[in-house]
Amino acid sequence: MNKIMAVSTGQISQQKDRNITIPLDSSRPFTQVFEPCKKNATIDRYFSFFAGMEADMLETSSYRTPSMHERGMLTMKNRITRKAILLGLALFMTVSAIGCGTQAVTTSTGAEAGKTEQSAAAKTEAPAAEKSEAAAPKEPVKITYPSYRVGVQVSSQTERTLLKEFAEKFGSEVEVVVEELPSDTAYTDKLKILVASNELPDLIDGKNGMLDLAVKSGQAVDLTDYLNADPEYKAEIGDAALNANLRNGKPYAVSMGRQLVGYFYNKELFAKAGIKPAETWDEFMTNCEKLKTAGIVPLSLMTGENAWTTNLLLASIVGTSGDAGNAFMNKQFPASYETPEMIDGLKKIQAMLKNYTTSDALGGLYANAANNFMQGKTAMIANGPWMTPDFANPEKSLPGFDKMVGVSAYPGSGMFNSYEIGYIICSKDKEHADAAFKFLKYKTGIHAQQLALESDGIFPLTDKVPISEELKQTNPLVAETASVGLKAKYNYMFFDVISQANVIDTFAKLYPELAFEKITAEEMVVKLTEAAARNKE
Amino acid sequence: MALNTTKNIKWVIAFLVPTILLFLFMYAFSLIILFGSSFTDWTLGMKVSFTGLRNYLELFTDNEDFLKSVFNTVVWIGLQATVHVTIGVTVALILARREFYWKFVRTVYMIPNIISSAALGMMFLCFLNPDFGALNSIIRLAGQKDFSQNWLMDYKTSFFTVTMMWLPFAAVVTILVLAELAAIPESIFESARVDGATELGINLHISLPMLRNIIGTCAILAGTSMLQKLDMILMTTGGGPGNRTMNLPIFIYQNALKDNNFGLANAAGVTLILIGIVTVWIISRAFRMGHSNT
Repeated sequence: MNKIMAVSTGQISQQKDRNITIPLDSSRPFTQVFEPCKKNATIDRYFSFFAGMEADMLETSSYRTPSMHERGMLTMKNRITRKAILLGLALFMTVSAIGCGTQAVTTSTGAEAGKTEQSAAAKTEAPAAEKSEAAAPKEPVKITYPSYRVGVQVSSQTERTLLKEFAEKFGSEVEVVVEELPSDTAYTDKLKILVASNELPDLIDGKNGMLDLAVKSGQAVDLTDYLNADPEYKAEIGDAALNANLRNGKPYAVSMGRQLVGYFYNKELFAKAGIKPAETWDEFMTNCEKLKTAGIVPLSLMTGENAWTTNLLLASIVGTSGDAGNAFMNKQFPASYETPEMIDGLKKIQAMLKNYTTSDALGGLYANAANNFMQGKTAMIANGPWMTPDFANPEKSLPGFDKMVGVSAYPGSGMFNSYEIGYIICSKDKEHADAAFKFLKYKTGIHAQQLALESDGIFPLTDKVPISEELKQTNPLVAETASVGLKAKYNYMFFDVISQANVIDTFAKLYPELAFEKITAEEMVVKLTEAAARNKE
Repeated sequence: MALNTTKNIKWVIAFLVPTILLFLFMYAFSLIILFGSSFTDWTLGMKVSFTGLRNYLELFTDNEDFLKSVFNTVVWIGLQATVHVTIGVTVALILARREFYWKFVRTVYMIPNIISSAALGMMFLCFLNPDFGALNSIIRLAGQKDFSQNWLMDYKTSFFTVTMMWLPFAAVVTILVLAELAAIPESIFESARVDGATELGINLHISLPMLRNIIGTCAILAGTSMLQKLDMILMTTGGGPGNRTMNLPIFIYQNALKDNNFGLANAAGVTLILIGIVTVWIISRAFRMGHSNT
């Protein structure tokens, strides 16, 4: 190698040799060494330095070769440099430490103030509010609001409308700063980081476990006084919705809608197989078999993401299995999943995943499952009425598909009836909390509920919003869902509501194992219980 | 002369300080927190409390997912540092002959490396979809009418499929090795040829020994890239089926952001860093990096 280098980098080596031949005497100051060739000193130094460096690099030996050390110049230089670095470091550390210190103090006082104000929210006049009133020129209060209802998300159009209307009506008082976070995962991941750093935005959606995190970390604002001060608005929300998601007996979240969810079926494919929506789960399984015999894939299932369509079926099997199972599906955060109803339900799901669904169900996404149904490849999908606008959308569904779809309650006369957790105020001071409440009120009030019903098929919280004749004409599936839902014998909630977020992930993770018979239903419930136990109280 | 020296020091400081500050606040500070909090019970929204080695004990004694993650991570590092690098070097040696196609192949081979890996993950997800994916469709066209293989989610194929998403795409290795090859003087090859050496002989006895350092560097780069492989797995299998394709970054992500258990996740993070250090040490040793060739 050395020889080769000598060939290819001959010039450099020569220069290096010349460099070494310069007489060195460490007792003499290094300026004197260069005295004889003073004129060319700078150039010489330049060359010798780089030539030495390059040659060393090419030799790939370390920098601390004896030849370098012999050059007193560099050692000297090193010493000075080291001192300088230390000095500089010390200086910068001091400066930054001071900077950090002040910043830390400011934040902590800010947080302190926020906390005291939160606890003192009952008292009508908090000091911060006084101050803001005293500072006369009315700048609109800026509140931060992250949203996942953006882009092509199903409710994004309604969201945009509400934001625009709110800006027109209250823009002079409150400015909503929207941060777009496309997808639930992006939304939840971001908020979890903000929980840890105590910086939650003014208004957030409490789903995927955020309500509990916001309350536990002391950042959620108790809404009792806000609601009591505005009885008219409180009535628009209704006691049932408010009581559905209390924490420590207090309302921290205001729901924005009610979900009534049955399942959709393809009438034409049902007719082809000669079946009608099943009354019992045994009949449901027989129907699946008949569809399969007729060459039709019965179910749109998926186990990716939150295993949504699969979990809807499981929840329905459990929720309609009798009083014990129904109670299980209506109570939040079960400590144990090891119940006979869960085991029976998982066995049915195992059979469905193995025999009655598409080849891309395992690991599949909601988009895959929905697409399979809307392209007429599968006969049934468990999902809510927010899906109905897609049935009439020729870009997503077969032509005339909305006429082919029927809606049914689950076998055993079951229907999901669940309030969304809704929005939480996490402002640090009263001024922002007031502003956030103004926006919250607009976002969940009777007008917003009406809009959500008409464009997204999300049911209103109370009967103050009627289901109009017009809606029955334009979107019969939504109206049908409502009438089917009112007749259902069993009502229950989603796993996404009763289980912690990590349990939902465990479902998604374990379904493929169940389908491949790597684990049994009995083993799966044990693992679900373990996952639930990881959420320490 | 003295004046010149002080001038230099100013520059030295000016250039060093940003890096040092960046290192201190971005890495050193985070590392200290990471290391410290791995000995605590730190769950989101709760008080942090010191628990000693409990996180580590939990990880190494009864956490199947963690042990599987460590196993997978190590296997992937091994494959990447050997097979992946071998593929890259082989392609480089072929391209170094400068046949008519070499620039074209070099460019095409580079394409997977310039696509964002999240987008690549999406592409593979569609390409491998058992229902409408291109791969299954091609196999069906080739005669197997009812062929349907869930490449990513089937226990038999998932690990292999995920590995194939990055193992063959060694363009970075190829580029680095090609550059180093170009620096070897042509005269050496000429004299070898004059002495009657075959192409294979030249590659084995001249090129490869002279490329030892760059190949070692590539092995380190490729191996350590497996310490941070998150996005592609997250987009395709999420570590599934079960924990079949789980690696440490996925494990850490799930524990920190799904289970909210930062303490446990950070203990796994410390393990990940240690694996990284050991990897670099082993590869440097194996390639005798930093030693001259004689």
